[in-house]
Amino acid sequence: MKCLDEKVKIVERKEIPEGLKVICGLPDVGLVGTIAVSHLISKLELTEVAYVRSDLLPPIIMLERGLPRSPIRIFGNEDLIVLSSEIAIPSVAVHSIIESVVDWIWRKKAEIVFTLGGLPIPNRHEIEKPKVFGASSNETLLKMLDGKEIQVIQRGFLVGPQALILSYCTERGIPAVALLAESFYNYPDPEASSVVIQALNRMIDMEIDVSELIEKGEEVRLAMRDMMRRTQAELARMKKSHEYDIPGYYIK
Amino acid sequence: MRRRRSIFDIMRERMEEFEEFAEEMFERFMEKPSWDISTHSLEPLCDVFVSSDRVIVTADLPKVDPESIRVNGISDDLIEITAKMRVKINFEDLGVTHRRGEFSCFSCRVPLPVPVDISRARARFRRGILEITLPRKRGYEIKVE
Repeated sequence: MKCLDEKVKIVERKEIPEGLKVICGLPDVGLVGTIAVSHLISKLELTEVAYVRSDLLPPIIMLERGLPRSPIRIFGNEDLIVLSSEIAIPSVAVHSIIESVVDWIWRKKAEIVFTLGGLPIPNRHEIEKPKVFGASSNETLLKMLDGKEIQVIQRGFLVGPQALILSYCTERGIPAVALLAESFYNYPDPEASSVVIQALNRMIDMEIDVSELIEKGEEVRLAMRDMMRRTQAELARMKKSHEYDIPGYYIK
Repeated sequence: MRRRRSIFDIMRERMEEFEEFAEEMFERFMEKPSWDISTHSLEPLCDVFVSSDRVIVTADLPKVDPESIRVNGISDDLIEITAKMRVKINFEDLGVTHRRGEFSCFSCRVPLPVPVDISRARARFRRGILEITLPRKRGYEIKVE
């Protein structure tokens, strides 16, 4: 097995059983995944089970009730675990961090990985209900997406943490699905997060209520301003605008 | 013998210099708070899009009173956006207990990358997003022979 970068370590705070479902919501366009997993953590009352320690990250800690916490953490219960970050993943660290996290997920023999995020569209504010698109690590999961009325992205670029999660999971043979809602690029988008949670509900027969997320949309947008600013800067470094590009000519 | 630099080498160097400059300016801009206690204001998230005939500026303005939104043209390449919030917000409302101060408005100045005709600008507020459309200044038409 390839020797992974020791600069990234997943530290387990509790014993984590094998075979769990994994849901990732890392900072990206519209903070769609971040807001969605924050809602899941709160609704399912998940507790911190592990965290990411890495000297590739800026020297930042998250203080909670006076105690230091890693900005990138894993929350969970007996059914699922959720990967969440309080900071934008630095573009220079994103490969190593995601590769290490996926390696850890592989060692935990995860049943399936979902990565939640946004798909930026320029006229987002004119759209009442964003649509959810999907991509996956294998053909079987693509059929599953189809069966749940989630349109598959047939062709296009994906940039950032979720692109790497999907790519590394495919390499390792881990079943993985990306659920991406139409969203703002650089404004926090709780509505997009709510539709992505509804799509996740359909995929794994969960019933997470999103009404509170919609009701508190303005509070969420206000609270997420600074994180959005930082994330926007990192996304620019990752050349996120590639997602708008039309892939080169190909013959059908 | 020293190789003569091609126009592409020069262009690439210039682009790299520009990217470094832009990155430095961006870092400097990021390293300041997005709030100002003295004016009780928050800096909104803004975006600028330039097309062939117009500049579109958007701003995310949660919790504002739509009637209070003001857009002022400072010059032909700078606008100012202000808006009062429906309710005052303090740090504690945002979960921060070690800072003091409250906020009652959004305020920012947005530099525009190209000159615009401010007198023909239009603005609308929809779903919490302010959208300002500013026609670009027209130049002289060059006849094609």
